[in-house]
Amino acid sequence: LLGLAFWSRGTLSRSGGLLEFPLLHDETVVTPDATRRRAIGQILLLAAGLVVLTVISAGSVYLVNRAREDARSILHTVEVENQISLVQLQLRRAESAQRGYLSTLRRDFRSDFEEAASKLTPALQRLKQLISDNPLQKRLVDEMLPLSDERIDEFRRTIELARTQRIDDAAQIVREGIGRDAMKHIDDLASQMRAEEDRLFVERTTGADRSQTLAASMTGVGSGLVVVLAAISIFLVRRSARARDDAEALLRDNNLNLEATVDERTADLREANDEIQRFAYIVSHDLRSPLVNIMGFTSELEELRADIFKRIAALSRAAASAAPAPLSAGDTELVLESEDKQLSQDFSEALEFIKSSIAKMDRLITAILNLTREGRREFEPVRIDTRELIEAIVTTVAHQAAEAQAQIRVEPLPHIVSDRLALEQIFSNLIDNALKYLKPGVPGDISIRGRTKLGFAIFEITDNGRGIDPKDHQRIFDLFRRAGTQDKPGQGIGLAHVRALVRRLGGTMSVSSELNCGSTFTITLPINWTTNKRNRGS
Amino acid sequence: MSQAVTIIMIEDDEGHARLIERNIRRSGVNNDILPFANGTAAVNYLFGSDGTGVDQKGRALLILLDLNLPDMTGIDILRRVKENKYLKCAPVVVLTTTDDSQEIKRCYELGCNVYITKPVNYESFANAIRQLGLFFSVIQVPPAAP
Repeated sequence: LLGLAFWSRGTLSRSGGLLEFPLLHDETVVTPDATRRRAIGQILLLAAGLVVLTVISAGSVYLVNRAREDARSILHTVEVENQISLVQLQLRRAESAQRGYLSTLRRDFRSDFEEAASKLTPALQRLKQLISDNPLQKRLVDEMLPLSDERIDEFRRTIELARTQRIDDAAQIVREGIGRDAMKHIDDLASQMRAEEDRLFVERTTGADRSQTLAASMTGVGSGLVVVLAAISIFLVRRSARARDDAEALLRDNNLNLEATVDERTADLREANDEIQRFAYIVSHDLRSPLVNIMGFTSELEELRADIFKRIAALSRAAASAAPAPLSAGDTELVLESEDKQLSQDFSEALEFIKSSIAKMDRLITAILNLTREGRREFEPVRIDTRELIEAIVTTVAHQAAEAQAQIRVEPLPHIVSDRLALEQIFSNLIDNALKYLKPGVPGDISIRGRTKLGFAIFEITDNGRGIDPKDHQRIFDLFRRAGTQDKPGQGIGLAHVRALVRRLGGTMSVSSELNCGSTFTITLPINWTTNKRNRGS
Repeated sequence: MSQAVTIIMIEDDEGHARLIERNIRRSGVNNDILPFANGTAAVNYLFGSDGTGVDQKGRALLILLDLNLPDMTGIDILRRVKENKYLKCAPVVVLTTTDDSQEIKRCYELGCNVYITKPVNYESFANAIRQLGLFFSVIQVPPAAP
């Protein structure tokens, strides 16, 4: 009862401690979700920034192109106006040269005229070329062309007349003023063209202004947007950095808590384990007491049986002979009748079964007691030459090995720091088993190999014996469980005991085997085992 | 063994008590055997109502003691007996199921005279008790201190 109370307390304290885990679990679930959301947000921000920058760049390129076109058309307008002036200038030069010649008849006026006349045509052609895209101006130029030709012809005629000494005729022509109307008409046309070009100039300047304003506002808005996006991005980055700092702090705290929790759990588990040990000890102990009674009174019954059947025999013989003979102590060899004999045999058989069962139960209880006692023994780590230890074990089983015609090979093994007695028990149990369960008629071959890996020593005990069915691999490590043909004495304790020892030494063990193909037991033990790994704080 | 010696048997298991008594009788010991099924009754008898044990003055006692009692451990009784000036000379035979070496050592340290583990095997058990009876028939027990 005492043991049970301890045990249930241990269980409660452990389940109470478990309540802390779901909280930690929740936090770890939420964090990645938030991180993913934050990452998506930042990607969206970056994408938005990129889009804005692209739009601004494309818009700027477009607007710069437009501005260049606008500038070009303004230049064109100015050029056209300039050309108009040039045309008028040449006309006026031609006219003034003609007048000069008419009044002085000097030859250089004539050559001035020729020069102006020769420049007029290219100027007009150039003008025509410049305004070829504008139908209105084209019409005006087309109108102007014959007029100017007419004027030049008139000048040339008067100059020709003057040269041939017919100065009066020439003066007559000039006086008639036929050319003045044409000249006026040309000036009208030129001013119309200039007005048209002025209109175009205003229009184009306004357009250029508009696109410049557009470019400026676009750049401004875009830059503002970029700045806003950058600000949001900085805010997000700072927020996630803060969240990360918080998470790191939390993680640190959790780590510390976890250490504490692990220590607490370990202490709880150790306590629970100790309680189970105590419990097993008390139970097995208390089970023994009634067993003494059962065994004792069964033996008493056995003695009673002898007395009873002795009496029955005496009585039946007395009845048969009808002359009752007194019972005497010397009548031990009385013969029972067949019916009574059968009864006596049944009686004996029942008692034998009871006694053999009690003996078995006693062995099991003794085994549990030994196991719990072993579990309570303090281990002492010492440096062990494993090969020497195993060879000593092999020497003690040499007789059995010779009987089984088995050879045991011990290969070089790593030295480890562990409990000597525990190691002896582990290896002698495994070697015993290997010898015990060899295939009948086949010479045994048992080998013990060892290697080290990452701070652990790995030992393999391989035999060519009868093997273990894979479905029994777990079962063989359970207390009082055995596998395969039950032709050897045993309680099913050895492997359970070995595994308990290996675990206490901070190691693990496993088996790989097939029926009829031998077995390999693998034991992994820490190379440097220290007591505080297990008994820390106790 | 002097006829005056009384055997005090402190054993909670009636079956055990019966088997022990039977086997002691079979070895030819006819002394009075006083059975007690729990620690309290035994303590009351041994130390009397005032707890001094003065009632036992001048009597010769031999105590058969089981360690696993329902109300107290036999070790407490052993300690009290060995600390009591009237009772400390009485031989105490610890007869129990425990074969734990720590327990055995402790009992001897406290002054127990013989420690016997009850064997489950009845032949061994009966044999052990009979030999104990034979032992009783030859040992000398002093009367409790005057």
